[in-house]
Amino acid sequence: MKKVYSLMFLLLLVTGLAACTGEKEESSSEAATNSEGKTVIEYWHVNAETQGGKTVEELVSSFNEQSETVEVVAKYNPDMYKGLMQNLQAEAAAGTSPAVVQVGWAFLDYFSNTFEYTEPQTIIDQHFPDDKTFLTDNFLPNILDLAVNNEGKQVGIPYSLSTPVLYLNKDLLREAGLDENGPKTWEELKTFAEAVKEKTGKYGLYIQEPADNWATQALLESNGAQMITNGKATFASEEGIQAYSLWADLVASKSALHIGWDQGVQSFIDGNVAMLYTTIAQRSNVQNNAKFDVATVKSPAWEGKQVKLPAGGAMLAITAKGEEQQKAAWEFMKYLYSVESIAKWTEGTGYVPPREGVADAENGLKQFLEENEMMQAAIDQMDVVVPWTSFPGDAGLQAEQMLIDMRDQVLSGSITVEEGLKQTQEQINSLLQ
Amino acid sequence: MTTTILSIKNKEGRIQKIAPYALLLPSLIVLGFFMFWPFLYTIYLSFFDWNMVSTTKEFVGFENYIDVLKDPVTWKVMGNTMLYIVLLLAVNFVVPYIFAYVVEFVLQRMKGFYKSAFFLPAFISLVVGSILFTWILNPVSGPVAIIAGWFNITIPIWSKLDGWVIVVITLITSWKIWGYHFILLFASISGISKEVIEAARLDNIPLWRIFFRIVVPMSSSTGIYVFIITIVQGLQFAFTPIKVITQGGPNYASSNVIYQAFHEAFVLYRTGHSAALSTITMIIFIFLLIVEFKFVERRIYYENK
Repeated sequence: MKKVYSLMFLLLLVTGLAACTGEKEESSSEAATNSEGKTVIEYWHVNAETQGGKTVEELVSSFNEQSETVEVVAKYNPDMYKGLMQNLQAEAAAGTSPAVVQVGWAFLDYFSNTFEYTEPQTIIDQHFPDDKTFLTDNFLPNILDLAVNNEGKQVGIPYSLSTPVLYLNKDLLREAGLDENGPKTWEELKTFAEAVKEKTGKYGLYIQEPADNWATQALLESNGAQMITNGKATFASEEGIQAYSLWADLVASKSALHIGWDQGVQSFIDGNVAMLYTTIAQRSNVQNNAKFDVATVKSPAWEGKQVKLPAGGAMLAITAKGEEQQKAAWEFMKYLYSVESIAKWTEGTGYVPPREGVADAENGLKQFLEENEMMQAAIDQMDVVVPWTSFPGDAGLQAEQMLIDMRDQVLSGSITVEEGLKQTQEQINSLLQ
Repeated sequence: MTTTILSIKNKEGRIQKIAPYALLLPSLIVLGFFMFWPFLYTIYLSFFDWNMVSTTKEFVGFENYIDVLKDPVTWKVMGNTMLYIVLLLAVNFVVPYIFAYVVEFVLQRMKGFYKSAFFLPAFISLVVGSILFTWILNPVSGPVAIIAGWFNITIPIWSKLDGWVIVVITLITSWKIWGYHFILLFASISGISKEVIEAARLDNIPLWRIFFRIVVPMSSSTGIYVFIITIVQGLQFAFTPIKVITQGGPNYASSNVIYQAFHEAFVLYRTGHSAALSTITMIIFIFLLIVEFKFVERRIYYENK
């Protein structure tokens, strides 16, 4: 019987350890130097070996080779951006901090409210007058805005970017007598999906269903709905309900598949689904494994409306303390944002380059894009990228969870779209108060 | 002279008195640090509102407990837990008991093969197993679905259906733990003296009666152990496929109390809520433990007692 406790204890121990680090004394944050007199800084990332970890290592070691003043130590944090936040918490409690960290978009507000950081432009202005216009020269304004928090501060610089695209099984579309270049609008997409079901008996569409509402936001906001207005949930508007209904109707008529993310993507790759709406980060998986004529197109629009796509991924923020560390942090970041490094990063991870001038540059992605045409759709839609909504405050994560729970209820048909959205919106708003 | 002998004797006596405690100390430290202290800390946390990050914890009295008990999700998860327990017991306690009996007393050959074949999955990580089964059991395009398709059977989309999802997750969990339970029961059953069984057979007692009247009572000490670990470890092992495949969904249909405690604490950062749920779970299990000791333990046969 003891065994049952031991697991719970273990879980809670983790809690306990996180708490007890708070009692440690503050250690000095003097700049560490190595034997050669280089400033040593830490770079925290979440890229496991299979998710770009090798590229991180490559970039860091080639940076270290060419830099005379700085040595970077890369540190991998398991469990993605949330895991990194937890480790950063422990580190901050101990009074130390890495120099450069990856911060997932969902943690933008949380990070900037909880941790000490320095806006990149501040460090540039103080120490690197030559780079004064580096950010505005190289980044689209809507992309830079992704890393601006609710107080209007530029918390970091976008680094890993992903957007949802529509993957097409051209063979299956042709078989159903449809245009192999895919639908341009969601309305068209609906008729496509229904036609595929009718003509081939296979599923027309799968929209990704991970434990977040990223794709849902793209669907709803492209139709003019707003996930959030002035800190209040407002997705249950007429547009929101209309957009959600399209998805729910397709699932109800079995034209769209309602299943977990892994199995949904597998089913597309195995040729049982004609269209897959998911992140561009799945490109290499789809491209390497699909045995049919596969392509990607830009995220569909709603008839006559502006597409709005939430950005997935992360930014780099500077948590370095002290002048030496901060200078070293920018030197390293500037290297990471060079055309060559960003090109390597894109090739190694499947993210979209966050900055301008990479896609068509000879020393950038020109050749890569010729070989991997499926990437192009994501690059072409960079101008319609908007921030990924995170609900404010302590209950924000709970609000996010409610939307996930609602998705399963609505798509399984146990509740109507209108009821589901309105109820959930009410619950979220009473929670956020 | 006498005094020195006495003092030596005293010294020996003292060492003998201290020695057991000294020998106990390492495990006491480990137990204290990894079990009792976190246990107490959980109870402590259950009275606070805390997001695991903030430097201050707000004391809220019994509010977390009231929240947990009022939350319909708690009851859904408790119900799921009961279903998990029933299914786990059927698959990982009853079935291996029968198999162990059959392999030991009924089958005449290939015993070694069965033993190793059944035990093999216990070596493989359940995370890997879960990922494999996600593919194998993919209701649209997995191998099982393709074979079923030849017979015009469609596999339900189990990961999104209430009930089904628990059945499949239990089966995936069983794949991992079944072999271990089988080996334990097999070892116990093969320890039963052959003469008793042979005598019963000579008297033409049917196999099922031998099983219920001789084998089960004589292996009951291992039986009760397997019974308990089936519940306790089974619920913990189910955590892995839940985390990998469903994250507790759809709408909590696959969550059990252990996963829910994790979800509240480490996904939603509602530490107080999670701690209250854990404490309530603990109370339920302590109650069950007392029941077990009172009514079952007395009737268990221990060979060496």
